Amino acid sequence: MRTDVQRLLPRSVQAVVIAVLLVFVLTPVLYMLFASVNDDLAVARGAFWPKSLHLDNYSKIWSTVDLGAGLGNSVVVAGSVAVVSALVAVATAYVLVRFQFLGRGLILRGLLALQSIPGTLMLLPVFVLFANLSAVLGVQVIGTRWALFVTYLTFALPFSTWVMVTYLRGLPAELDEAARLDGASSWRILRSIIIPLSWPGLVVASIFAFLLGWNDVLFASVMTNPDSRTVAVALQVFGATQEGGAIPVYGQLMASALICALPVVVLYLVFQRFLVGGLTAGGVK
Amino acid sequence: MLTPGGVLLVLVILVPLGVALTVSLLDLDQYTLREWTGAPFIALDNYVEAVTDTPLPHAIWVSVGYSALVTVATLPIGLAAALATQQRFKGRALVRSAFLIPYVLPAFVVGTVWRTILMPSGPANSLLGDGRLWLNGPDSYWTLVVVQLWTSWPLLYLLAASGLQSIAEEVHEAAALDGAGWWAKLRHVVFPHLRGVLALALIIAFLHNLNSFTLPYVLFGVPAPHDVEVLPVLTYVESFQNFRFGLSAAMAVLSLVLVAIPLSVYLRAVRLNQHED
Amino acid sequence: MKRVSIIAASLLFLAACGSGGDDKPGDTGLNGAGKTLNVLVQANTIYPDQQRAWFTEINDKFKAQTGAEVKFETFASPNDELTKIQTSVLSGQGPDIYSLGTTFTPTAYATGAFLELKDDDWKKLGGKDAFLPSTLGISGPDAEHQVGIPFTSRPFVMAYNTELLKAAGIDKPATSWDELLVQAKQLTKGDTYGLAVAYADGFDPWKFIWAMSVQAGNPLVKDKKASLNDPVTLKAYQTYLGWLATDKVVNPAAVGWKNAQAIADFGAGKAAFLPMVSATSKVTLDKSSVAGKYAYAIMPTVPPGQTSTPGVGATSILSGDNLVVAKYTKNKDLALALVKLLTSPEQQESYYKTFGELPTNATAAKKLQSDPALAPIIDSASKASGTPFNGAWSQVQLALVNVVVQSIPALKDGKLDEAKLKQLIADGQKAAQDALDKSK
Repeated sequence: MRTDVQRLLPRSVQAVVIAVLLVFVLTPVLYMLFASVNDDLAVARGAFWPKSLHLDNYSKIWSTVDLGAGLGNSVVVAGSVAVVSALVAVATAYVLVRFQFLGRGLILRGLLALQSIPGTLMLLPVFVLFANLSAVLGVQVIGTRWALFVTYLTFALPFSTWVMVTYLRGLPAELDEAARLDGASSWRILRSIIIPLSWPGLVVASIFAFLLGWNDVLFASVMTNPDSRTVAVALQVFGATQEGGAIPVYGQLMASALICALPVVVLYLVFQRFLVGGLTAGGVK
Repeated sequence: MLTPGGVLLVLVILVPLGVALTVSLLDLDQYTLREWTGAPFIALDNYVEAVTDTPLPHAIWVSVGYSALVTVATLPIGLAAALATQQRFKGRALVRSAFLIPYVLPAFVVGTVWRTILMPSGPANSLLGDGRLWLNGPDSYWTLVVVQLWTSWPLLYLLAASGLQSIAEEVHEAAALDGAGWWAKLRHVVFPHLRGVLALALIIAFLHNLNSFTLPYVLFGVPAPHDVEVLPVLTYVESFQNFRFGLSAAMAVLSLVLVAIPLSVYLRAVRLNQHED
Repeated sequence: MKRVSIIAASLLFLAACGSGGDDKPGDTGLNGAGKTLNVLVQANTIYPDQQRAWFTEINDKFKAQTGAEVKFETFASPNDELTKIQTSVLSGQGPDIYSLGTTFTPTAYATGAFLELKDDDWKKLGGKDAFLPSTLGISGPDAEHQVGIPFTSRPFVMAYNTELLKAAGIDKPATSWDELLVQAKQLTKGDTYGLAVAYADGFDPWKFIWAMSVQAGNPLVKDKKASLNDPVTLKAYQTYLGWLATDKVVNPAAVGWKNAQAIADFGAGKAAFLPMVSATSKVTLDKSSVAGKYAYAIMPTVPPGQTSTPGVGATSILSGDNLVVAKYTKNKDLALALVKLLTSPEQQESYYKTFGELPTNATAAKKLQSDPALAPIIDSASKASGTPFNGAWSQVQLALVNVVVQSIPALKDGKLDEAKLKQLIADGQKAAQDALDKSK
């Protein structure tokens, strides 16, 4: 049976691993769920089980901040970053893996080194860059979704590219060599062979890029205006306290956090079946 | 094909990086911010101050230590999860998606949730029947490790899972024909195949943990307790709360250089940038 | 005859048209058609719908007055606002008006990016006399260099559980810190404690230390010299930390409390006194189990270890929001007109009614003086004292809090290590002095 051949862990080990991990992962999530329907003062005092049900938190979050618009902006920005960065990454990785040229090693090492740059160092210089760009181009750059898109795309590229580089290295070169013998151009090879075969890598690269845009607060908080505000920034408001008096609205914070995690989890639920196993033997022919 | 990505990277990362480097050589603070190009040039003074007069050395020590710990600890967990969900079973899609949740939640939410769970009068202590201090003092270091672990292990799981997908069927069949047991198969067939992906995963995870700012910031607040004085929080406070931009830039550059050295050693050792056959 | 009257009528008509811009009350004669002012304020999570309605109301009113529109932008926390200020100062573009917490005004002033109000400007705002004199205390380093226009007043007071005090036979909260400790000891029994104090909060601790020091005569910063190593400040730390460590009048879990936890604890009836809160706690406490069973009082003004107040009898830091106008604004006069609207007696009164924040406008404040529930808060506002106006104050503040943060592990064990405390204070002194040395 095919499935037995592919089995990596015996059933008992598999079950234990999954059970332990689910408990580890879901206990705090359960806490969040309970806290989202609990009284804020009770949560502040460290309660776990809700004493009273405050289901209205789920409806309040939409009016306390403009969560709907925030979600819309985030979906647009993060979604486009995910798609574009995955495509750019696979194209760049293809060139880096299949072709030999001067400086290739340098570029590869450089991309990895770029991952070590902290965001806090870049915030003000990037802002100044965009502000000057505004002055040069004569259009408003800061506060638009484009500025965010470009920033997140660039920050996501190094890692996405590396994921694809690592993945593509595992693909046998014979596949595209055969296609090239048939006279196919690089673009054609990329489109018809490489991309379909590298779905698992593309999924990881896109998730990473999507989350970068979805969860970033630092850049979004200064580069958006109320119209282009992303959900990550809107969420901050729930955690705020008024000095000396109002406590954070824990219930709404937890509720909105769960709601905001939902799109990504659902997207993954849909796309995880593309993490298909193995290359078919027939592909090489 | 390299041009669009290349242009973006140069424009949005390298140019601002150059600006940041320049700032580290200037005396840029709240008094000189407005006309930043005219801020006094003080060459390496910021660097000297960063090393001698700030908690930078201790912060680097704390950061590198806990990042390495977390990275090494997430490896077996992520790997185990990937191996366990490779097989189709009922509800696998849900389990896989559930595994992703800690990574998907924004860092500030994770910090707030764990902060309330771990406060002295919180649910964790009620369960343990104790009054332990998790958010300050010596235990705070382990708190940081565990919470960072909780939120970052799914990345390793994702990478490992994607790596497992590229094992060709013939390889599985060959191993079955050889009559290999599951552990032997893992050791001799699966793990070697995953080497490339895992090597990448480890270095990426390490760098992410090193630069993770929001989690320690929300979990422990500012000023940070001595045991969890991590680098990103330090540079953030210097820059955004104390307005000492020059000093903060120097700190960040110093830490970048310090990380670059072992990074290149690692790359060389793992031969990540060479074409594997 | 008819001709004269026609001429007279036309003259009158022309005269009326000519002065048409000035005879509407509050009208500035400014033409702001097509212009928009951007204002940055803190997001209000307690009254989000009311805040949105207020935004619309102000926009409509201002448009009617000047033709210009007002767009509001919100920030979640003061740190977010600081970052926004930095990016705006750096790039020369951003909101025209900022609503800034009083403790951040000195830092904003230090950037030199905000409008220094000259006599002319104050006239456009209705004159300095329109404001409560005490609220102007943190508008600038001195009367000639002011950037902050007082907008709301949020002084700190102490909440106390009226039932618990009555049961213990105490008729009113103490006026000296020593006496407060005595009362707190009387009120500590079982799982109820005398005081609810948030030791792990990022802001609360320094306010206590500042109050006790200032009351004893040490302003902490004077003429660019930090004096954290003054003996009265050591006494302040010993008192503050001692409440939990040695006197045991605070719940041991308070080492991990932020402000929210302290309020929640008091709200559950587990503490008798809740110092260092503002009137905004009313909303939270009215939803708790002590609703109707608590009242406010000013905090003690006699420093620990003394029987009178040698220094300033400060009941609270001068706290609230100031409005500042950015220098890069292209609509200075319009901005000033908007500030005038926001600080007018009618607007201030309505703002108080909607959001519960005390007015800084003298006329509006006077009206509230007769409200008995507000008496202690207004009293505190009048006796509030400004924190030192220095661009390095946020670093001094951080140094003050750091002493508490690093003392917490020992605190948990019920010890007050004298030597360690002195070392921490010495470190704080150095950090504060270094920051002050750099200030201009």
